[in-house]
Amino acid sequence: MDGARAAAARKKAKNAEPPAPSPPPDPSRPLPEPPKTPNNPLASGGPKEQSDEKKKTAALELRKKCSDFNPRAAAYWKDGEPVPFSFLVRAWELIGKESGRIAMTEILCNAFRTVIATTPGDLLAAVYLTANKIAPPHEGLELGIGEASIIKALAEAYGRKEEHVKKQNSELGDLGLVAKASRSTQKLMFQPKPLTIDKVFKTLLAIAKESGANSQDKKKNHIKGLLVAATECEPLYITRLLQSKMRIGLAEKTVLVALGQAAVYSETCPKPPSQTQSPLEEAAKIIKQVYSVLPSYDKIVPTLLQVGVWKLPEACNFTLGVPVGPMLAKPMKAVSEILDKFQGTEFTCEYKYDGERAQIHYMEDGSVEIYSRNAEWNTGKYPDVVDSISRLKKDTVKSFVLDCEIVAYDREKQKILPFQVLSTRARKGVIINDIKVRVCTFGFDILYINGQPLLQEQLKVRRQHLHSSFEEVPGVFQFATAITTNDVEEIQKFLEAALNSSCEGLIIKTLDKDATYEPSKRSNNWLKLKKDYMDSIGDSLDLVPIAAFHGRGKRTGVYGSFLLACYDEHNEEYQTICNIGTGFSESQLEECSASLRSKVIPSPKPYYRYADTVNPDVWFEPAEVWEVKAADLSISPVHRAASGMVDPYKGISLRFPRLLRVRDDKSPEQATTPDQVADMYRAQKISHTNNQEEEDDD
Amino acid sequence: MLELRLVQGSLLKKVLEAIRELVNDANFDCSSTGFSLQAMDSSHVALVALLLRSEGFEHYRCDRNLSMGMNLNNMAKMLRCAGNDDIITIKADDGSDTVTFMFESPNQDKIADFEMKLMDIDSEHLGIPDAEYHAIVRMPSTEFARICKDLSSIGDTGVKFSTAGDIGTANIVCRQNNTVDKPEEATIIEMQEPVSLTFALRYMNSFTKATPLSQTVTISLSSELPVVVEYKIADMGYIRFYLAPKIEEDEEDMKH
Repeated sequence: MDGARAAAARKKAKNAEPPAPSPPPDPSRPLPEPPKTPNNPLASGGPKEQSDEKKKTAALELRKKCSDFNPRAAAYWKDGEPVPFSFLVRAWELIGKESGRIAMTEILCNAFRTVIATTPGDLLAAVYLTANKIAPPHEGLELGIGEASIIKALAEAYGRKEEHVKKQNSELGDLGLVAKASRSTQKLMFQPKPLTIDKVFKTLLAIAKESGANSQDKKKNHIKGLLVAATECEPLYITRLLQSKMRIGLAEKTVLVALGQAAVYSETCPKPPSQTQSPLEEAAKIIKQVYSVLPSYDKIVPTLLQVGVWKLPEACNFTLGVPVGPMLAKPMKAVSEILDKFQGTEFTCEYKYDGERAQIHYMEDGSVEIYSRNAEWNTGKYPDVVDSISRLKKDTVKSFVLDCEIVAYDREKQKILPFQVLSTRARKGVIINDIKVRVCTFGFDILYINGQPLLQEQLKVRRQHLHSSFEEVPGVFQFATAITTNDVEEIQKFLEAALNSSCEGLIIKTLDKDATYEPSKRSNNWLKLKKDYMDSIGDSLDLVPIAAFHGRGKRTGVYGSFLLACYDEHNEEYQTICNIGTGFSESQLEECSASLRSKVIPSPKPYYRYADTVNPDVWFEPAEVWEVKAADLSISPVHRAASGMVDPYKGISLRFPRLLRVRDDKSPEQATTPDQVADMYRAQKISHTNNQEEEDDD
Repeated sequence: MLELRLVQGSLLKKVLEAIRELVNDANFDCSSTGFSLQAMDSSHVALVALLLRSEGFEHYRCDRNLSMGMNLNNMAKMLRCAGNDDIITIKADDGSDTVTFMFESPNQDKIADFEMKLMDIDSEHLGIPDAEYHAIVRMPSTEFARICKDLSSIGDTGVKFSTAGDIGTANIVCRQNNTVDKPEEATIIEMQEPVSLTFALRYMNSFTKATPLSQTVTISLSSELPVVVEYKIADMGYIRFYLAPKIEEDEEDMKH
């Protein structure tokens, strides 16, 4: 046991008095660190200790301004060697301490630059890990591990008892911190090789791919392998990666921006086109745009390394089989508003169906995939749609991507059924002969046809393609009912007709000016007009519960009320908007309390904006999205939503908010934004002055 | 070309039963001197070292050093098909990705062939030099197994054979005793200085799976070093388990 003996010897040397005379300190060479791992005297020492100093300088280096940063100075491994996982962890640690988006971007950009400069092959894994993903969303690859498995792995890896781990978990409220604190009760025979980015990412993939008998056991062993090899802060982040919550306040958009900017600095990247004013901003824009049409790091990152950022849009285009985020519409309150917005442009009004948004990809080989609003794989839910769409496409059509709404439909009465009926269908594994809830697909846009992306075409052209590519069969596949007019009366009538046909309202779209398809954008070129908007404050809001107050009286044991926030995507922060305590049924309140109890965090996130006077009893991780409706909006000295936008100091809050439902289909980052809140506030002001007698009637 | 013929086939079965709880996949290394294995459990807390010397085999042919990665559970499944009196032959061709186990019944009336796929296992060979131990205990292996089993029903740590758990504590002291008639029943303690270490009983219990291989077990202890639990395999070699100690302040002691 060489290492063991050496360790014992080291220990003796340390205890020996007086200490051996040491050579005069040489500033150019860091002094060797004393053996700092008393818990691991059996490990073969090796080069670990000497590199500690280098690792520290690396961390300092990462905090430098991008313009002063030297990627080689931050690297403590040789070119071409796998990037140590500890490097990425250090960058995350630094990011977690920052609250400003610019500082975060800079650190991350520096980290990516270091990877690109030394071992570019590891960039993809570094990006995936930082974005806390393992595959593009449409591949539906999930880690599939619960807290229990992680606890078991922690207990076994660190020689602890499961019950102690559980107890500590409930005390600390964060399994990551438990993992960090666990590293000490058991000595090791030999320290495993240090983790690399590549190894960690591959192990996560392996965990996701384990299936069948004993898969939970195999997953647990993979986790154990990672934990045993993890040092310093690594267990914390491994645990958080496994739980899919990094808790460093890093939004995916920042990852993209940092990636784009890192590419600009890279030595191999060609110079920007000469007319580019600010290359960094331009690069950020490009990469966000590219990601919106091709949301797959697997495709973007290798191409980025190959052709650089400026040529990226040419090389990474919309791809059949990779769903893009659907284009979204802005809520409007009155028909007159629409005319104001679209003055002088030709526009069309379509029924807004109340069903499930779907993106149908039909490949050249005749296979069909259906994706949800969030790019989740939904093919298993709609075998009937797969079947009908294949039959109803015209023979000339070899491939397409259709944007449509799938709606529950009563074929006998030829009537659209409400969304609630549709939601009774199973989520996957539906068998065509057992279907009870029949559906009709309403097509309204086409993004790709016969090998040709249509995103850049105007809606008028896309619509021609759409209509010439499919046969309509009532109750099975129909085009969305639409009219093209700019007559207020006519639109009003059309809206009423839509409402009478069990639709939510209208979507209004420009036809041939600014009418390209903009994936995942809530564009000004698509407006929605819902019945609800005529009453109260128009659209409901999607808000994130970030804190709660303990309930009293009847509500003892559950939370009594919650603090809700909207999400500012520019500053990546949550701004409080109201307290909510109504609209909950008893069981709903229990459910909400139970699910949020697991999200409790010891202190508010640095990116929460709230008044000091709020003082809730518990804070939550941003995790859920609740659809909330309110009587109206008012300026608030307490809440911070949209602060500075309508009032220089005060924010906006909701009056009489009540819960409509929990939105499982949205993530906290997709919550209503302060911009939208401010828009609603302004719109309400207009309609209030226009229509004093308006009353909230629902 | 590799061909190893082992008359006491049951030995190989016992060896495998002894280590397969601790290790899932491992490389078997064959050289002209013997058939060996070295592997750590997935937590890197325990290490098992097995040696079966070439002299112990009836026929031993190993043209060049060969490392064969095997899944021990699959291997165990195949070996379970061998009768206890069967002669086992291990065969592998150079460059082949399979290994063959051949079982012959003692009276040669039945011969079975099992071919198993080999796997690539990334493992570094860890140097384990001999160390001098402060205390060496030799005792009957069944007694040791019994003690580990008894103690683990009370707590989950302890050697000097004591443990503490939620329901109470237990101490078992084994004294030097070489007056018995049969040497294998003796307990012999050679001590240079007292040693007190804490180990996870879970692993100790796992080691006792090797009990059928030997009537005695030797436990070598030194502070700061892993314990070695050795079962000698008559005429052939040994199976040694190394276990890293726990850190003294244990969770049970730190109740806040």
